[in-house]
Amino acid sequence: MESIPILKMGKSLLVSIQVDMHDRLAMRLQDDLTARIAQTRARGVLIDISALEVVDSFIGRMLANIAAMARILDARTVVVGMRPAVAITLVELGLSLPGVRTALNVEKGMELIADMQAGGENGRHQT
Amino acid sequence: MIARQQQEMLELSTPVVQLWDGIVALPLIGTLDSARTQIVMESLLQKIVETGAGIAVIDITGVPMVDTLVAQHLLKTVAAARLMGAECIISGIRPQIAQTIVHLGVDLNDVITKATLADAFSIALQRLGLTVAHRT
Amino acid sequence: MAVIRHDVRMLRTSEDVVGARQTVREWAIAAGFSLVEQTKMVTAASELARNTVHYGGGGTMRLEALNDGPKRGLRLIFEDQGPGIADIERALQDGFTTGSGLGLGLGGARRLVNDFDIHSRPGEGTKVSITRWK
Repeated sequence: MESIPILKMGKSLLVSIQVDMHDRLAMRLQDDLTARIAQTRARGVLIDISALEVVDSFIGRMLANIAAMARILDARTVVVGMRPAVAITLVELGLSLPGVRTALNVEKGMELIADMQAGGENGRHQT
Repeated sequence: MIARQQQEMLELSTPVVQLWDGIVALPLIGTLDSARTQIVMESLLQKIVETGAGIAVIDITGVPMVDTLVAQHLLKTVAAARLMGAECIISGIRPQIAQTIVHLGVDLNDVITKATLADAFSIALQRLGLTVAHRT
Repeated sequence: MAVIRHDVRMLRTSEDVVGARQTVREWAIAAGFSLVEQTKMVTAASELARNTVHYGGGGTMRLEALNDGPKRGLRLIFEDQGPGIADIERALQDGFTTGSGLGLGLGGARRLVNDFDIHSRPGEGTKVSITRWK
C-alpha cells in the first residue's frame, strides 16, 4: 500500500497530504507518524492539508488523534492550510478539532510550533 | 450566467481591505440578507488565505439591522476563520444590534467585539505584537 | 420535478468511498453548485458512503440530477443490506467528535443538505437519501 511521506525538519516532522486518502491510508499515516515522532523524538508536527478539498469526520478524527498521540509523546501538532470551503463545512458539521492548533500556512505553522515549544501556549488559535 | 454576475458584483461591492501586514478589514454597509452575508463571508475567508492575514476585522458600523440568520452567519465565519488559524474581531456593533443579539440569544462570548473599527485595529496591532510610536 | 440523469456506484471498499467523493464532486459541479455547496455535498456523501461500507457491509450510491422548474438539484441515495440502525434518533445525534461512539456521521450529513430521508430497521438494511438544491 502507498504511504504518505513524512519529512524531518530540524526537530519537527512535516507531512503534506497531497492525495484524497482512503481510510486505510489515513490510518497508516496515523500509525507512521506516531512511530516517527517516538523514533525521532520530534518536538513538533506540522500537517499541511492545503491540498485537501474535503475533510470529513473521519479525517477530522484522524487529525485530532494525531494531535493527542503527539502530545503524549511531548510533541506539538499544528495543522496548516485549511481551505475556506473546508472550514465552512466543518463549522456546519459542528465538528471542532479538539486539541488541534491551526495556522494559515507552513511558515506561520512553524512559528506557532516554536512559540508552543517556548512555553507560549496561551490558548490562541486553539480550536 | 446571471447568478455568477450577481455573485461577482456582490464580491466587488464589499471589498476586503488590508489595513496592515497581517490585518484585513471587511467594512459592511447596508442591509444584510442571508445570501449576501454568505457570499461576503466566503470572500473574506478567501482573502485571509490570500493575504495570510492572522486577523480580520468585520466592521458592521454601516449595518442598520441584523437578524438571527445574519448573526449566525457572522458567528460561523468567525468559527471558520478560527479553524483556519485566523482570528476575527467584530466592530461597530450599535446598541440596537447589541440588543437584538442578546434578545435572540446569540452567544458572542467567544468572539472579540469592539465598538469602533479604530479600537479593533488597535487590538489587532497589539495581538501582533506591534505598536504605533511617534517619530522622534 | 424530473430526474434528468441518474447512475449507480458500488460501495464496497474504502477506495470506493474515495471514488464516490470524486463522482459526487463532478455531478455537483454539473449541477452548478458553488465551491462551498459542492464541498458540503461531497462531505455529506463521504460520511454516508463510509457508513455504507463500514457499517452496512457494502452497498450502493445512486446519483440523481434533478430539475424542478428552473431549480437544479442533486440527490444521492445510499443503500445497504446491513444490520440496520436500531435507534435512528440517537444515531442522528450521536457525536462523531468522540471516536468511541458509532460515529455514524448521520447527523452531520443531515446538517449539510436541504433534504434528508432515512429508512432503517434492524435486520432490514439502511437507505439514506440526501438532496441539495442550487
